[in-house]
Amino acid sequence: MSAERTDESGQRGLRARVDAFTAREDAWKWTFGAAVVLLALLPLGLNSFWTRIALGALMWVGLAQSWNMIGGYAGYLDFGHGAYFGVGGFVTGIVMVKLSLPFIPGLLLAGVAGAALAYVIGVPTLRLKGSYFAIATWAFAEAMKQLALILGITGGTFGMSLPTAASSFGIPIPGGLSETFFYYVMAALSLGTVLLSYLVLEHSEFGYRVQAVRDDENAAESLGIDTTRVKRQVYVLSCVIAALFGSVYAYHITFIHPNDVLGSLITDQMVIMVLLGGLGTIYGPVVGGLTVFLLSRMSSLFLGSSTIYLPLIGVLIMLVVLFAPSGIVGLLNGQTSRADVKKNVHELADKFDLL
Amino acid sequence: MSELFTQTLINGLLLGGIYVTVGVGFSLVFGVLEVVDFAVGEWVMLGAFAGAVLTAALGTDGLYLVPVVFVLFFVVGFFVQPFLHHVTTGDRPMPLLMGLVFTFGIATFARGAVLTIFGPNTRSITSGATSGAITLSGIGVFPTIRVITAAFGVLSLLVFMYYLYRTKGGMAIRAIAEDRTNARLMGINIRRYQSIAYGAYAGLTATAGIFIGLIYTASPGMGLQYTAFAFFMVVLAGLGYLPGVILSGIVLGVVQSFVAVYVSSQWVFFSLFALIYVVLLVSPAGLLGKGEAAT
Repeated sequence: MSAERTDESGQRGLRARVDAFTAREDAWKWTFGAAVVLLALLPLGLNSFWTRIALGALMWVGLAQSWNMIGGYAGYLDFGHGAYFGVGGFVTGIVMVKLSLPFIPGLLLAGVAGAALAYVIGVPTLRLKGSYFAIATWAFAEAMKQLALILGITGGTFGMSLPTAASSFGIPIPGGLSETFFYYVMAALSLGTVLLSYLVLEHSEFGYRVQAVRDDENAAESLGIDTTRVKRQVYVLSCVIAALFGSVYAYHITFIHPNDVLGSLITDQMVIMVLLGGLGTIYGPVVGGLTVFLLSRMSSLFLGSSTIYLPLIGVLIMLVVLFAPSGIVGLLNGQTSRADVKKNVHELADKFDLL
Repeated sequence: MSELFTQTLINGLLLGGIYVTVGVGFSLVFGVLEVVDFAVGEWVMLGAFAGAVLTAALGTDGLYLVPVVFVLFFVVGFFVQPFLHHVTTGDRPMPLLMGLVFTFGIATFARGAVLTIFGPNTRSITSGATSGAITLSGIGVFPTIRVITAAFGVLSLLVFMYYLYRTKGGMAIRAIAEDRTNARLMGINIRRYQSIAYGAYAGLTATAGIFIGLIYTASPGMGLQYTAFAFFMVVLAGLGYLPGVILSGIVLGVVQSFVAVYVSSQWVFFSLFALIYVVLLVSPAGLLGKGEAAT
């Protein structure tokens, strides 16, 4: 009895300390600074195999964060977000292969093309709501994949190979195009995405406008928020980030195929990561991205099956939606308490009273 | 009219019959549960796989398994519905979209589980009916299996429609689709009838999967194509508008048949997805304008 009590109070002490820390105005600066230092030092302790895994984890955290902007904060479930990842990759590929330009212009043009496409697609598509928006964006992404499979400029069904020489980067790099170099590029992009997401969506008036659109679009409109404009801005921003990640990914992996970079699995993973971590939170995509990515890599490493993570993810997503709609972050910060989960189980059991 | 043209047309009509079976259930589920089921193609895949695995294990003709698979998936669907009902109600952010995400989880689970357990290879369903053909002089030659498939499609559609429009249970289901709260106030056991609707949908779709597996083959990755087909049908027909699906399903079968014969097949899917996208933007209530307008 007494041992239990000390345990509880010990936990409460820790939680109180965590709460006191997170309540501080400058908590995010400390957290972010610690993340920067940690990620900068990480490659020193990793061989190239684990550096590659860390690189992948960083990319997925960033991609999940970009999906979270439109899906989590604005409440528009974009089932075609992966299209921008693929478009970024292919634009970079085309710029480097067909125009023989270095990677840096390729990256910039990928961002510009992503923004232009997102604007053109966003204007009509963002008029749709809910499921209609989800289906439309899904159809758009699948159409883009089919187009890339048909067109000659993307290499069609043969895919596309990118230059691998160190000189193709644009500016000289000490050490050449090593795994560690790409790690730092991805880390910079990923940290930049998280920081931008925090500053724009959590720490500014714009963020409140975006969340107002999610919570009640009509009410937001009646308060004088130009919802159409806000939605477009978030959509374009999140799509540009996905395109930039696609660009770096293509340059790193050096071979891209429409079935891979434009495949629906890219979007699927982003959605799953954000949901699992926690929709519309800054830590959600980080936690979810790491969990899902490491689960997929570790299962192929230790369970000897490269597909077993799919059913596992499927079950995870169902459990989260059923019992903890605010994700892992919601469970950790107490938004979903044990009582809530219990209530959910009881309510679900009631629904089985079918006859 | 040339013989090729007539034969292509009739082949398309035969194919359309089975697509209608998939589309009608999908549309009904949207009406009743207000859920857009991203797992629709995976029910087709699961049905085809169940057919392939069971024929191999039992050594029976694939056609005998049709009632078995229907009952099996009716039961599965019957017990999946409470989960869907739970995630679309109660205290949670964006409840209707959570239903969509849940079916997304079902789809990922189904595809991944089949891929992991059975491997990526395609399988065929054995049946005596896959080899024969019916010759109509002056019109063309039609594989027996396609004729049987179309007959099943029409028959199941008639039974389904009879249940929906001529029985008390069907009336209850239509009432729920109209207004869930009011239906409940009228004393309808909404849980039971929602489960029947989802079970019937899962059963019909999986059974359609056996026939599709008999005509083509079964593979773990086949689901996406049929999800696309189902979306195409209901978007053209208007979400939740059942009679429109009969038309759009037949259109789909005929178009697919003609494109495969007369045009290069590589443009099929691009056109399909592009059409879904454009129709949703231009006319969200379907080409006939009778679906539920965008909410």
